Amino acid sequence: MTRRAARPAKIDRQRSASPGFYVVAGITVLVSFFPTIWLFLTSIKTEATIYAFPVVYLPAPPTLDNYLNIFNETPELLRYILNSFIVATTTTIVILAFGGLAAYSLGRLTWRGRGPLLIFILAVSMFPPLALLPSLFSMFLDLRLINSYPGLIIGHTGLYLPIAIWILSNFFQTVPREIEDAARVDGATSLRIFWRIILPLSAPGLISTGLIVFIFSWNEFPLSLVLMSDNFMRTAPVGISLFPGEYSFPWEIITAATMLTITPILIISGLFQDRLIGGLTAGSGK
Amino acid sequence: MKQANRAGVYFLTPALLIIAFVLLFPIIQTIVLSFGKNSTSIFIGYEYIGLANYRRLLATPRFITALNNTLFFTAVTVPLELCIGLLLAQALNRRFRGKGLVRMAVLFPWALPTALNALMWRWMFNSEFGLFNAMLIDSGLLTERVNWLGAIPLAMYSMMFVSVWKTSSFMALLLLAGLQTIPDDLYEAGSVDGSNRWTAFRHITLPLLRPAILVSVLLRTMDAMRTFELPFNLTDGGPLTSTETLSLYAYRTIFQYVNFNLGSSAIIIQFIIIMAISLAYIATLRRGQA
Repeated sequence: MTRRAARPAKIDRQRSASPGFYVVAGITVLVSFFPTIWLFLTSIKTEATIYAFPVVYLPAPPTLDNYLNIFNETPELLRYILNSFIVATTTTIVILAFGGLAAYSLGRLTWRGRGPLLIFILAVSMFPPLALLPSLFSMFLDLRLINSYPGLIIGHTGLYLPIAIWILSNFFQTVPREIEDAARVDGATSLRIFWRIILPLSAPGLISTGLIVFIFSWNEFPLSLVLMSDNFMRTAPVGISLFPGEYSFPWEIITAATMLTITPILIISGLFQDRLIGGLTAGSGK
Repeated sequence: MKQANRAGVYFLTPALLIIAFVLLFPIIQTIVLSFGKNSTSIFIGYEYIGLANYRRLLATPRFITALNNTLFFTAVTVPLELCIGLLLAQALNRRFRGKGLVRMAVLFPWALPTALNALMWRWMFNSEFGLFNAMLIDSGLLTERVNWLGAIPLAMYSMMFVSVWKTSSFMALLLLAGLQTIPDDLYEAGSVDGSNRWTAFRHITLPLLRPAILVSVLLRTMDAMRTFELPFNLTDGGPLTSTETLSLYAYRTIFQYVNFNLGSSAIIIQFIIIMAISLAYIATLRRGQA
């Protein structure tokens, strides 16, 4: 009792990582990574080992054949990954440009009607993405935007602009108003203030938002499924999902292709965890 | 100020045009399509038939099954995710060695593409060559292979398991953000009063975390109600239609049975339910603040 009272709770709460705590942490790490570890192990097994009974746990011997076979026999799987890359990077750039301007307008500039408009944008984004499918499909068919990069990029941009605007306007609010006011007194235009002051000062926010949007677009499924029906235009999640034939699942190819597709995700969540967590909590914490 | 006003409108225009084109107009068209028949667009051959599609859906057993599946799935997974998320957030809210790895472990399942994650689990659940049956049999916990994805109601439970695995960590991140806003002095005061960890959690953490809990439960509920890729890749909605969700039912109605109007009404019903749940949550949140 006296010991606890003498020691401030802050230290008690933040430092005391008991052995029991490390057990919880260890289990968390194990549980999070085991599906991916099993995926990787499968992808470096020979076909005979994958379909062995009883199940062979470790690849003996490990082989890169499944990956090489993708290059040699099913290059369309690489095309899917390239498609995903083109769509996700372009979507991210477009969203940062248009979303940044909109977030500055809604978050910092004072003009009438901006409050209700922000709420309206968020409300529209609450509709399930599936609600867009029948209409977008028939619209894009008429506009010849099916099976085209611009089509899916426009689709993804619309889907994730609201959340990006929301996250960005939270980040922009952390830029001190005095700097902006000083520049305005000096006669700077709004565009110049946005470009020279707001953007550089909220660079971490832009990176966070960009990474989140990239992950969303890379992973997006329903729109990519419907707007890209040509076999060579599919994105990686859709292409791999539809790759299996009617009756057989070629797991040696599926696991290798899946491993290639989730590698960027693995790298981003390893290297930029602070940025991702910062962006996610800025978007939902309020 | 006038200048700022004009700039404000200019800056907003590109974003608003895209949102109007990709979100607003399609949503309106979907609503209108749900009251029509034999049409894929409101401009060509549209015929208004009132609520007929809705009446037909409510009399379709397969739709009712999909509705029940979705509600059951949401009602089981979201509370489980909240409990695990709370536990994880509490554990993470302190300093310890190896924090980077643990945080990556919490982020990674959230960041995985749901569709491919479903395939990864489908492979582990595989009854002949899958990891789970092999491990359970080799360790003596099971004597014969279990058909995880091919039996009713086991397939639904397997699907719930995958969902809880993937999204508990997202819940933990949102709750962690809430936890970090609770000032430390409150716990100091609590420990002076001699409260132990459990009473501190009950009387300090939980009440102050209430808004964060409601927000994360709301976001997760909306997401669970529109689950699509998971049954699409894990179970194909089967066996029979025991894991078919509303989204999967609507997708199949629209693109496999090519009935845009009936599928649109299914989506609108789904949206009305999501909206009703959201409003109930927000009312609870408001009442908590007043």
